[in-house]
Formats: sequence, structure tokens, C-alpha cells
Amino acid sequence: MKIILRLFLFAALIALGVWLWFVFFPGPEKIIRSQLTKLARTVSFSPAKGNLAKLASAQNVAGFFSTNVEINLNLPGYAPQNFSSREEITQAAVGACSVLSSLSVKFPDINVTVAPDKNSAIADATVEANLSGQTDLVVEELKFTFEKSGGKWLIKKIETVRVLS
Amino acid sequence: MTVQNPVATSKPRQSWLHVIAIGRNPRNTFIRIAVLVVASFVVFNFVLLPIRVTGVSMLPTYKDHSINFVNRLAYLRHEPRRGDVVSIRYSGPHVMLMKRIVGLPGETIAFVNGQIVIDGKILDEPYEKWKSVWNLPPESIGANEYYVVGDNRTMPPEDHTKGRVARERIMGKVLL
Repeated sequence: MKIILRLFLFAALIALGVWLWFVFFPGPEKIIRSQLTKLARTVSFSPAKGNLAKLASAQNVAGFFSTNVEINLNLPGYAPQNFSSREEITQAAVGACSVLSSLSVKFPDINVTVAPDKNSAIADATVEANLSGQTDLVVEELKFTFEKSGGKWLIKKIETVRVLS
Repeated sequence: MTVQNPVATSKPRQSWLHVIAIGRNPRNTFIRIAVLVVASFVVFNFVLLPIRVTGVSMLPTYKDHSINFVNRLAYLRHEPRRGDVVSIRYSGPHVMLMKRIVGLPGETIAFVNGQIVIDGKILDEPYEKWKSVWNLPPESIGANEYYVVGDNRTMPPEDHTKGRVARERIMGKVLL
């Protein structure tokens, strides 16, 4: 009985060690998921959020992208949107804050594939956006290309994936 | 000759609260709960996906905010059929499209005065209660594709999500 208890404690200790390792040293996949979740949180705002807070969030959005970013969005019911610099992204984020009363963005399903060199990655994610509390959600699949720059994973490219053609 | 007192040898009576809360035999109750949890996890993650319908594109067949299930095993033995209401995945199973299959692989589909025309023949659609006036040119469906559309076609065609979908994106058939 004593041996079984010791074995059980030993296994629990190993499991705790593994868990702590992954908490303190997350892999690229986990970091990218976390980046996308943070991006969704940064671009989202509620009607109660103050203008200064919204502006501050909009200024922070550009920090998720690399300097040579390329975004080509083709969302149903909206005109195609193309951005090719951080400044354009900031302008778009500030514009969205002034035009929309609220914005809720979520990425419910994120699939990450890291390149063998561990310096770039592709993330497929579904974007679920609610604009100004409308009943119809904007739902689309997006393909994010990440690159590792200065130890940070930054978004280099975003493309729309057509589910129905 | 010995006589035993049946009351003295029987187990102490359990309170009704104890019986209701954890049953007469706690071990059996625990096993039942464990089996139920495992079975629910397997069924509702891999066999019947619970879904909540959002939007009006499948009206009047499926109402906004109604609850349903997707049978992921529906197409194990046969391929999707015309008229099936299916769920179509984006990058995962948490948000899906719900549409009806109207065109099969290799066919040509068109909309003429609101009616679907498959390879030159009008498709009978008893589920379409509200007539539309869509006119869309003929479109060929690829070998591994299906044409899907919602039942509610009262809105302009450009505002309705429809089109060809790859077979691998079809997650299963809507159960109810």
C-alpha cells in the first residue's frame, strides 16, 4: 500500500512538473493562440467603453502585426478591405471605434501549424464578429501567417478562406 | 435450536435523504455517474453535436435560436443526398453553417424565377414555403463538391450565403 501511494505521489509530481514547464515555457502554438485571443480582446469594445480607452486599444492593435503586413479581407456583405502597413491598421481600428457603437470579436476555432524552422506559422481561425449589437453575426474563416521577429510572433498576412464558392 | 432476531442482524436503515442523494449503494451510484459522464462526453463530442441555430436563412424549417443536433455518423455508409440539411464547418466545429444540399457532384445548377434548375430540370422543393425571384446563371458543381443553399430565399441572392462546398467541410446531417 505504501509503495502504491509513493508511486501515485511520484506520478502526480511528474504531472505537476510537466504542467508547470508548459505554463512557464509555452510552445509556439500556444503563444500564437494566446496572441489571437489577445488581438480579439483588443479590437473588441462595448458601448460602455470610454472614447479614450477605445482610442488606446485601437493604437495597440498595430502591435500585433509585422511592419510588412498584408491584409486582404473579403467578408460577405462588406466591400473588400486591404491593408499593407501598421499605420493603415491603426487608422482602420480608430475608424471602427468612431463608426461602430460596439464590436465583439472572437476566434472560436484556432488551428496552428508551425513551420519546421519554428520561425513562421500558419493559423486557420474562424472569426465571429458582432457589429454594433446586430442580430446577424459576421462569420468567416481567416488564414493568418505569423512570423517570429525579435522573439515575438507577429501577424504578417491575413487572407479570407472561402468556405462556399 | 437458535433463533435470530431479523431486526438485529439487518443493516441500519438509511435516511431517505441519503437514498435520494447518493442511492442505497454509493459505489454503484458513482459507477453509474462515471459511465454517464463518459458516455455523454463521447456522444456529444463525436456522434451528436449539439447546436443552436442563429439567423434566418433556414426559415421556416429551422427557427432562429432553436436547438438541434448534428449526426456526425450520418455519412459513414453513404454520401450526402439532395435535400439533406447539413452542417458545414469553418476552421472547427464551434461555429458552422447550416444549409440544405440541392446540387450534387458533377451537376449543373441554376436559379430561374426562384426555382432551382438541375441539369435543365426544375427541382421540386416541398420545404420551400416562401417563393423567391432569384435568377442566377448556370454553375457547374465540381467532382468533390455539393451546392448548398438556405430554405429562406426571400432576401436578395447576394445577401444569402450559398454556393459550392467541398465534401470534407460537411460535418454531418442535422438530426431533427
